[in-house]
Amino acid sequence: MTIALPPEALRRVRRLERVWEERQGVLGWITTTDHKRIGILYLFTSLLFFGAGGVEALLIRTQLIAPNQSTLSPAAFDTTMTMHGVTMIFLFVIPISTGAFGNYLVPLMIGARDMAFPRLNAFSYWVFLGSGLFIYTGVFTGHGPNAGWFDYVPLASRTYNPGPAIDFYALGLIFNAISSTAAAINFIVTIFKMRAPGMSLNRMPLFCYAFLAVSFALVFALPALSVDCVFLELDRRLGFSFFAPGRGGDVLLWQHLFWIFGHPEVYIIILPAFGIATSIIPTFTRRRMVAFPMVALAEILVAFIGFGVWAHHMFAVGLSTITTVYFAAASMIVVIPSAIQLFAWLTTLVTGRPIFKTPLLWIIGFIVFFIIGGLSGIMFAAIPFDQQLTDTYFVVAHFHFIIFGAAVFPLLGGLYYWFPKVTGRMYHEGMGKLSFWLTFVGSALTFFPMHIVGLLGMPRRQYTYPAGVGWDSYNLFETIGAYILAAGLVLLVVNLVVSYFRGAVAEADPFGGATLEWSTSSPPPPYNYAVIPTVSSAYPMWDVEDRQEDVRKLNRGEMVLDEGHETPASTVLDANFDEILDMPSDSPWPIVTALMITGIFAMILTGHLVAMCVFLALFAASLAGWHGVEPQEA
Amino acid sequence: MGVPRSMEATYDSAAARVDRGRLAMPNGWWGAALFIATELTLFGCLIATYFYLRFNNPHWPPPGVEHPKVALPLILTAILVSTTVPIFFAVRAARAGNARLTWLLFFVAVLVQGGYFGIQVHEFLSDLDKMSPHDSAYASIYFTLIGAHHAHVVVGIAIELWVLWKLFGGLTNYRMIGVRVAAFYWYFVSFLAVAVVLTQIYPSL
Amino acid sequence: MRRALLAAGLVCTLILLAGCGQSQGRQSTLHGASDQTRKIIHLWWGMLAAAAVVFAGALVLLAIAYRRRTKEGLPGIGEDEEVSTGLVVAFGIVIPVVCLIVLFFIANIGVVNATSAPKPGQTKMSISVVGHQWFWEVRYPGTTAVTANEIHIPVKTPVEVRLTSADVIHSFWVPELNKKVDMLPGHPNSLELYADKVGVYRGQCAEFCGLQHAHMSMAVYADPPAKYRAWLANMARPLAPPASPQAKAGEQVFLTQQCESCHTIRGTAAKGLIGPDLTHLQTRATLAALTIPNTKGYLGSWIRDPQHIKPGNKMPGLNLTDLQFQQLLAFLEGLK
Repeated sequence: MTIALPPEALRRVRRLERVWEERQGVLGWITTTDHKRIGILYLFTSLLFFGAGGVEALLIRTQLIAPNQSTLSPAAFDTTMTMHGVTMIFLFVIPISTGAFGNYLVPLMIGARDMAFPRLNAFSYWVFLGSGLFIYTGVFTGHGPNAGWFDYVPLASRTYNPGPAIDFYALGLIFNAISSTAAAINFIVTIFKMRAPGMSLNRMPLFCYAFLAVSFALVFALPALSVDCVFLELDRRLGFSFFAPGRGGDVLLWQHLFWIFGHPEVYIIILPAFGIATSIIPTFTRRRMVAFPMVALAEILVAFIGFGVWAHHMFAVGLSTITTVYFAAASMIVVIPSAIQLFAWLTTLVTGRPIFKTPLLWIIGFIVFFIIGGLSGIMFAAIPFDQQLTDTYFVVAHFHFIIFGAAVFPLLGGLYYWFPKVTGRMYHEGMGKLSFWLTFVGSALTFFPMHIVGLLGMPRRQYTYPAGVGWDSYNLFETIGAYILAAGLVLLVVNLVVSYFRGAVAEADPFGGATLEWSTSSPPPPYNYAVIPTVSSAYPMWDVEDRQEDVRKLNRGEMVLDEGHETPASTVLDANFDEILDMPSDSPWPIVTALMITGIFAMILTGHLVAMCVFLALFAASLAGWHGVEPQEA
Repeated sequence: MGVPRSMEATYDSAAARVDRGRLAMPNGWWGAALFIATELTLFGCLIATYFYLRFNNPHWPPPGVEHPKVALPLILTAILVSTTVPIFFAVRAARAGNARLTWLLFFVAVLVQGGYFGIQVHEFLSDLDKMSPHDSAYASIYFTLIGAHHAHVVVGIAIELWVLWKLFGGLTNYRMIGVRVAAFYWYFVSFLAVAVVLTQIYPSL
Repeated sequence: MRRALLAAGLVCTLILLAGCGQSQGRQSTLHGASDQTRKIIHLWWGMLAAAAVVFAGALVLLAIAYRRRTKEGLPGIGEDEEVSTGLVVAFGIVIPVVCLIVLFFIANIGVVNATSAPKPGQTKMSISVVGHQWFWEVRYPGTTAVTANEIHIPVKTPVEVRLTSADVIHSFWVPELNKKVDMLPGHPNSLELYADKVGVYRGQCAEFCGLQHAHMSMAVYADPPAKYRAWLANMARPLAPPASPQAKAGEQVFLTQQCESCHTIRGTAAKGLIGPDLTHLQTRATLAALTIPNTKGYLGSWIRDPQHIKPGNKMPGLNLTDLQFQQLLAFLEGLK
């Protein structure tokens, strides 16, 4: 976008460009601390894992296309179905939502120049990559985790699983949790402290509310999983007795701790999707979100109430009646914040003037699938119904409608929506719509029949099933659907790749969006904003006067912050301007520290304790290097 | 503009001035607070596990395992908690711009904490002679909970040693935040010490 | 648009009808043979109806959004933020709360009582089922009857089933008779089985338990009382000595070729506990937990190469000569 700038303003912009200049080449990407570059690293890595998880899904569906097939042996099937779950949840959906979308967009949406802790941000990425490679090393050496993604004991204990497969799982998840915990801390401090002065909490975009909720949920949920995995490793490697019934331990201890993490985890999965939906809907309906404060509060309540419902995953284990009834009641209460958001979206669509372009189509698909998945979820809160249908394909249908239909569809819509901003090119609209319809029809055909076959008694996690029980044709439909779904996704990738090279050049704001990222160029410059934006509402791009004030500020030299690598910090509630912070630039310490941690986990896995201590010392040394050079000395 | 460029505070009185002038807690403090929140949750899970296993077992400790000592653990915990006093005054000194007094008070704290840690290692090893995690869930959670706490003490001492090292060069805004974070971490470890010791001696209460 | 909807409707109907006409080997939650399962089925249809109404309503709203895409505001009312917010409160809070409270009372206070586990001593009859990787050990306390994978109960009689596991977590599930209950080592559970019609009811392990989780099914036979008593009396008897010389030789093969290290045959020296009890093997209609029919041909294939039929299960292939093999089969055919 070329506007003729007066000479003073131009000089300031040139100074910003010089100060924020980024190292080029591979070294530049390895040492980057720029939230946008880190977002792109996360994007490609998580899409790679999406591909892996997708291949695993197609293998499962191909094996189950008919009774008694031998595409996968029982052992291969068990690893494939376990890794499908582990990959999709820990290596795809969480990293792409928080690491790719969150990282790229949150600082832009709050008018900041980077996250609060840029080096910690890079560190999160390298640890994520390391944890993914760690777990897949297990898979490729014939020791892939194979006890299901929730890995119940005693099946996962050393007695029934003597090889290192479960160690790859447990250590891999602790390793992965370091990445997500660091990312969550970074988001919370960024959202609290780095908003443009004037963006009080009630003027913050709903996307950021969703990420605030996600981050708090991660902070309080991940430790339960880590503790569980530590107990499992202590039992497996050092002979401890946490899960041993004969020695005072309890197999249900694993389940409680797992689901105390696991249920909030599913809200962690869905909340970013809610955030994306609440960004796309106002843009494409050309009106403000109905009941904005209620939607913001609902996003936070979903995360909060989600901590109180975990034992609804355990209704068949023999808990006392009063315990099961409590958890069923809590599970019903958690429906309400989701219902509030759903009706806010629907009402906004009805009262607005929707333009049914590709991004909005994905959101409509999301709404349809979210309703179906949500309704089947409510059915599970009816305890006797749960006790018939849990562990069958009915629940597999439920969570795929939610995870794929409701969590992934907005991510795919978001890929289209922000593609012009990130790449500077427009995607192809016709191919975009086709990719949506293929994926939508494929998903419906894959996952809807699962409700029926579950009602007909087909349990989950079976590598095959007998003919003559009535399940054959449904499984055939599901497999056909899976391939159609895959075709839709392939078309999406083709569209984005081709458009990257040949798409029409995109302007700064092709859709008329309301949030601040649309005020930057496409793609944004490394410093995001030449002037820290003026904010007086939750829809800053629709406040024309504020945007004009920004231009005047640039000419006056106000809020340009070009004396160093600078960005403002403000107070938590009202965003009063509080300090000018110096941001770190390219640094090798995040990747070095991540490598040391990888060494620690690898040595724990292989049992080389001396080598582990060496890596621990090196880890401490790299932390010292990290904090050794203070920003003003750099 | 009265808003400070915090990183320009590279000597004692400047750092103190920036610290006093801030309206909100610094980013580093917030980061530490959230990290401490995850650690608190972690210990919450460990202590919840302790009581979950306890109510799953008719005999606690199991037959053949002696009841935990009460006096020594409580005394040691009191000693550890008492180091929050010099640490509190160390932060006050830093915020007043007195790097030397800050250094001295942290040094005193580290000495006491180091002594505490040494005695605790001895107790831990002697407990291992008397019961084994191979034999009971009681011993498994006992050693894991206490071991986790001791690991946090080690980390806290390491953080203090780093702060002591950096303070040789005087106070800057960055080191001021480091001092506050180190103190915050030790308040947390002291709180944990109380929660852990009460859990540890619970069967003897 | 209309053609697309028609096509979608056709596909959906095809999908829904795909399961019709299958009654052999059924394991459906939608066919109830007990009071408990019938109550759950009614609950399901009620919830489905309510869900269909909600879903249809949402589709109507989406259709309205599409049809009115050039107009702002609500149909008829126009732009009114208060009414819009009120609609969110009504449909997002009030109506869901009412529906959920109703569902809660019907399902979690009402139906829950009908399906809850019996208290000890509440039923006249009780059996015990122990889950193993990958078969069901079935015992009849108060008698010496032991069998595997095929459970017999008298029709129209509440039976308490006591459930536990010898190894990993399994789950006992006969969908036409009652809900599923997990079988956990260290946590005994119980379930009531009641069949109001004579018949065979298929069940399956419903908690992932390892390599052959897919082949851990069971059959519950609800017999008329006289037939049940005869069956139980037969089960409680130890085996009569083998009649023919070939069967006698087969018994020796059984006792010397590893079989007795895993299997029990009451009335012989075989007392192994790793695999199922084989004393009355010929009373069972299937082998390997309903994986294959119990015929001479299948039994022979199973013994020759169990890993081919159920890969990963704990029975090794045996190196028997042809003669030993024939003798063993003759012996096993006598386990009536």
